[in-house]
Amino acid sequence: MRNKNVKKLIGILFIVVLSSMIIGYKIYNKPHVNVAENSADIIQTANMLFIDFSTDETKANSTYLDKIIAVKGTIANIAEEGEKRVVTLQTSDDFGSVICYLTEEDSKNSAQIQEGQTLVLKGICTGFLMDVILVKCVITDLK
Amino acid sequence: MKAIYTLFICLFLVAFTNAQERFLTKNGMISFFSKSPIENIKAENNQVLSIVDISKGQMAIAILMKSFMFEKALMQEHFNENYVESDKYPKATFKGNILDFDKITGSETTITIKGNLTIHGVTKEITIEALTKKTAAHIEMAGDFFINLADFDVKIPSIVKNNISEKIKVSFRFQHKPYKK
Repeated sequence: MRNKNVKKLIGILFIVVLSSMIIGYKIYNKPHVNVAENSADIIQTANMLFIDFSTDETKANSTYLDKIIAVKGTIANIAEEGEKRVVTLQTSDDFGSVICYLTEEDSKNSAQIQEGQTLVLKGICTGFLMDVILVKCVITDLK
Repeated sequence: MKAIYTLFICLFLVAFTNAQERFLTKNGMISFFSKSPIENIKAENNQVLSIVDISKGQMAIAILMKSFMFEKALMQEHFNENYVESDKYPKATFKGNILDFDKITGSETTITIKGNLTIHGVTKEITIEALTKKTAAHIEMAGDFFINLADFDVKIPSIVKNNISEKIKVSFRFQHKPYKK
């Protein structure tokens, strides 16, 4: 009788330990946010995004940082940085722009984009230096 | 924060009048590496802003903490939320002088840069060495140095003490282009 109970207890303990190990491993290996599969938290034009950051950076940080932002703008420049393409969207300001770093996948699949074109990009905002910076961008709409 | 912004505006205005002496990059690379017996942690930031004035030997760098990309999402989350508190301190900055800027020439040389590094709201004076080379198109700078987490008041909970090194190796690579607009 006692033996049975001990076995049962060991069995339960084993399951508890195993499942917590699996959960722990899952949390440890939790995937990065997939921008392409998630819908945008905020929809904004490149110009307004830049104005928001240049007028009140602290407020803009709390509004935009870490959020997925769909931004509409006109391409001022396209550059290659290693494997990744960098799309700069123009604003009404001479110095500032919105710089979008495409994902590796979208860098390969974006051969058709050109300077002067208007498009919508979706990416994660990491902040403002001279320009507003979006990373992990994917192209969602070409006009 | 205001001071940094003002600094950049000033740099621009001056850059306007005297373009060929100022060099800038908006996608400089800074990475860091923590080596510990349990796991190695690496993060890379490819959106670093760096401005060099070679006539005066001045240098200014601004880094967005949220632009550091980690292999694991959980590490990135802990880094931003618990260690550098990037909501409170979204930027790291460096402002300094290149002590031997006259050595920046066509051949590769080592220069010494001394200045103030601000991370997590704490400023500390550092002296670093960088390999540099000037070509017609740009000024390259690259190097690495170590920082102590304790110097910048970054607290690591004792439960993960063995996972994160106290000394972090920071590497950088900038390709400054002549500033023109």
